[in-house]
Amino acid sequence: MKLLAIRTLVLIVLALLFLAGFTVFVGRYLHSAAAWAQHPSNRHFYQNGRLKETGTIYDRRGEILLETKDGVLTYHPEENIRTAIMHVTGDQDGNVASGMLKVMWEHLTGWNLLTGAYRYQDSLSATNDLTLTLDARLSALAYRELNGRKGAVGIYNYRTGEIICMTSSPSFDPQNPPDIQADPERYKGVYLNRLLSAAYTPGSIFKVVTAAAALETIPGIEERYYHCSGKILIGADTVTCLVPHGDVMLKDALAHSCNVAFAEIAGELGADVLQHYAELAGFNSRLTVNGIKTAAGRVDVKQAAPVELAWAGIGQYTNTANPLAFMVFMGSIANDGLSVSPAIIARENIFPALAKAEKRMLPEETAKKLKRMLRNNTLTVYGEHRFSGLELCAKSGTAEVGEGKEPHAWFAGFLDREDFPYAFVVVIENGCTGSRTAAAVAASVLHAAVDRYQ
Amino acid sequence: MNSFRESMQQVLQETAGSIYPLLTDLASQAANTYTLVARWLFPLLSLVILVRCLVPLIRERSTDTVWGYLVLANGTSIPVRNWENLIGRGKYADIVVNFPVISRSHAVLTFRNGSWTIADLGSKGGITVNDVKVDKAQEIQFGDVISLAGIDMALVPPVQNEALVPTGAAGNSGDTDEEKDFTLNSTVTLMLLFLFQVLAVVQLFASRASMTLAALPVFGIFFLTELFHYFIMRKLQSKSIELEILVYFLCGLNLALVASAAPSDLKKQLAAILIGIAAYTVITWLCLDLGRARRLKYLALVGGVLLLILNLAFGERIYGARNWINLGFITFQPLEFVKIAFVLAGTATLDRLLTTRNMTAFIAFTGACIITLALIRDFGTAVVFFGAFLVIAFMYSGDLRTLFLVTAGAAFAGIAVVTFMPYIAMRFAAWGKVWQYADSSGFQQTRTMIAAASGGLFGVGSGNGYLKNIAAADTDLVFGILCEEWGMLVALCVVLVIVFFVFYAVLLTKNSRSAFYAIAACGAATIFLLQTALNVLGSVDVLPLTGVTIPFISNGGSSMVASWGLLAMIRSAV
Ligand SMILES: [Zn+2]
Repeated sequence: MKLLAIRTLVLIVLALLFLAGFTVFVGRYLHSAAAWAQHPSNRHFYQNGRLKETGTIYDRRGEILLETKDGVLTYHPEENIRTAIMHVTGDQDGNVASGMLKVMWEHLTGWNLLTGAYRYQDSLSATNDLTLTLDARLSALAYRELNGRKGAVGIYNYRTGEIICMTSSPSFDPQNPPDIQADPERYKGVYLNRLLSAAYTPGSIFKVVTAAAALETIPGIEERYYHCSGKILIGADTVTCLVPHGDVMLKDALAHSCNVAFAEIAGELGADVLQHYAELAGFNSRLTVNGIKTAAGRVDVKQAAPVELAWAGIGQYTNTANPLAFMVFMGSIANDGLSVSPAIIARENIFPALAKAEKRMLPEETAKKLKRMLRNNTLTVYGEHRFSGLELCAKSGTAEVGEGKEPHAWFAGFLDREDFPYAFVVVIENGCTGSRTAAAVAASVLHAAVDRYQ
Repeated sequence: MNSFRESMQQVLQETAGSIYPLLTDLASQAANTYTLVARWLFPLLSLVILVRCLVPLIRERSTDTVWGYLVLANGTSIPVRNWENLIGRGKYADIVVNFPVISRSHAVLTFRNGSWTIADLGSKGGITVNDVKVDKAQEIQFGDVISLAGIDMALVPPVQNEALVPTGAAGNSGDTDEEKDFTLNSTVTLMLLFLFQVLAVVQLFASRASMTLAALPVFGIFFLTELFHYFIMRKLQSKSIELEILVYFLCGLNLALVASAAPSDLKKQLAAILIGIAAYTVITWLCLDLGRARRLKYLALVGGVLLLILNLAFGERIYGARNWINLGFITFQPLEFVKIAFVLAGTATLDRLLTTRNMTAFIAFTGACIITLALIRDFGTAVVFFGAFLVIAFMYSGDLRTLFLVTAGAAFAGIAVVTFMPYIAMRFAAWGKVWQYADSSGFQQTRTMIAAASGGLFGVGSGNGYLKNIAAADTDLVFGILCEEWGMLVALCVVLVIVFFVFYAVLLTKNSRSAFYAIAACGAATIFLLQTALNVLGSVDVLPLTGVTIPFISNGGSSMVASWGLLAMIRSAV
């Protein structure tokens, strides 16, 4: 029988092949079971494609943003609030990929790899609840200030990383979703949280990055004068300012957003240096906010011609910026060059609770110099009276988008206050001049933020 | 809320209306708490039962019975351990006689009907018995001078004063302490299995499924049958019966799955188990004697061909393939029973296997099966038959090259079929990307994976799943129900039991009395393995979904009876 025993090897091979196939399944299971369980046809969790039950989501003040009431998913009672933070909670049909209903699905529904969909007595417990760092009413105010224009507003604490205000427009009432298809122009990209998942041409706010690179690499830059005659010829192309700025120092060039001076500075820095400092400032990489990956801003000047480099130095060319990432960069200037990773979920809510992650973006000295220059912007250009008591340090941006469309309006910065260590960003699509429209939104929301926590 | 609980509630409502809400609340609380605890016990018990069954089976396999000795002229005495022994110089010979004049495979020494026979395998040196040249085969007596290429030897009886009548049933269980431990151990395992199954029944009543009291007698009869069968087996043979305990384990899960997914089939399924056990007992008994077993082979061949013709002539389509026969009072799937005939058709004794090498009948039968399956479009079962054919053919011939050629040929044929018959290709179009077609051609696979993900390691509790509501989930997607309601660990135990059958068949081959039994056991194990592989891996999109059953687990009477029949093939090889 030895002869036959040897020949049974074929059978062993078949059995091993089966076990190998089964291992493939187990591998896929470990990797994707959470995604499988989230399929809307899973009747353990969904009824008619909508979640049957979820843990309660609270904002930082204990307001209930989302709960299961009598077997129905119920958002905040006030429509303006649930609309303003729809992108944070997520919609009922699971279209908002960065919403808590998607990102924290396992936490909110109680599913896990070990016990699957099983729940004792078929019900959720307090461990399935979630507290956000967000102030829902402040976000609602920000949403109202956007006044129907597409864009985003964010405020975060640059010492702790807590995001206290987040809103994205357009939005809709998640309790009573409208017919999105009926008005494609109004609801263009409505499922996108523009603070996290969009990237826009930055325009002049990018000059802060160019200035940081200049402070680091060009000796005596702060004492130098640049002459602005209103335009500068680079190769066959010209870079222009709206008005001639005359002889300007770096801080004046930043305050008045002098394109000519920054075109010259970009040329002096060269492509490699500008690229390097843009990447230190968070461009070309994605942030992670409690597991939500943001869109990456882009800077790529490696192959740029001199005039393209000049345009890149003033925030045009192919540059894009993610609003949240730029807010974090602004926060790092406020925080002596250290950026604190942003969070939307209260730390005690997550297991394992992660310590706040810090990353050095700039040397302390450079950060302090930039802070003085950004403060000077407010004092000399934006007008301290509009931001009284805020100790505002900021930079506006008006990003040309071409195609005959109005430019995007940006306003980003921070409060230089120990009691209110807030960095912020406002971006309004086709919102015209940043120092007017976006700055007005920022002023209103920041004043409200300070008032609410006085 | 289940109907059992509802009927209880009704009684309560009539008698004590005031305390009724309190009592229902308590009942629901108790049911919930029960599931909370029980779902941890099931995987634990499964693992314990599995280990307690595998260990004795692996340990026991070598019976080390010596049927006689072959004594050489130089005094060397070689034990004869099998009913069929290959004598030769090669390393795969059972009796190695290491002289250069002897061929690698020289002769086969066979015990049959109370006497020994020696057969020449076309050796160079030839064989003589008492100086008379053996042409093909020659019966021999103890003490005859057998000469292989001039090397003299003789067969002598075993030393112990033991009657040389190997019958397979070597008397009742002995009185030694070791054997008592043995019996005790397996009885404890059986009791653990009972615990598992009783807990499962209670869980079903504590679940959302609409269980009625009518289910209780079904489980009651099942328990009694297990007990009765176990003690009959105990009485009749001394071998360990953990193999049967493993199958009871699978059948218990089967009944629980049917109770959850298709309660109206419960009685039918119990009947199938009872018929299966009866068929198993009869086939095992028939196979005890090799002569009987070989006659059974020819009977099965005829029966198999008849069933194939019957299926082609009267087959009806119920789900998918046209493989049902309706006799008015009963419907069944004839092809399930053809599997037993198929395995028997592939068997041969070692002398036959090494002398004639004639596989014509087996190849013809395989061809008939596969053509029938292609005609009724049951491709999953066709793959099962083809795989079993490969294994058996290789055990027959040992020719790896032919094996590869046949496989390649079949692969080309498969590709040709898929290329020229696009409607067949359509069926497999979703393979590997079922999530893109989650609500169309990938529906069954995605729902299975969703169910598996919902079950976690411990399951949501028998009766609490949702996958069962999908058509044919209790057959084709039964792995998904298993994962959802019982959890990944119990599902893994089921897979391991099936894989163990394969390793067990391989282990048995080495000490098998006859090549007949070894081939039958390996063939049956291959069918178990391939069905499980196609079902499990097909339903989770590792392989294309073909719709075959998991032996002993899927809902289905024919499948259950046939699986017991195939199990008899494995048991006979012990
Ligand atoms: Zn200028």
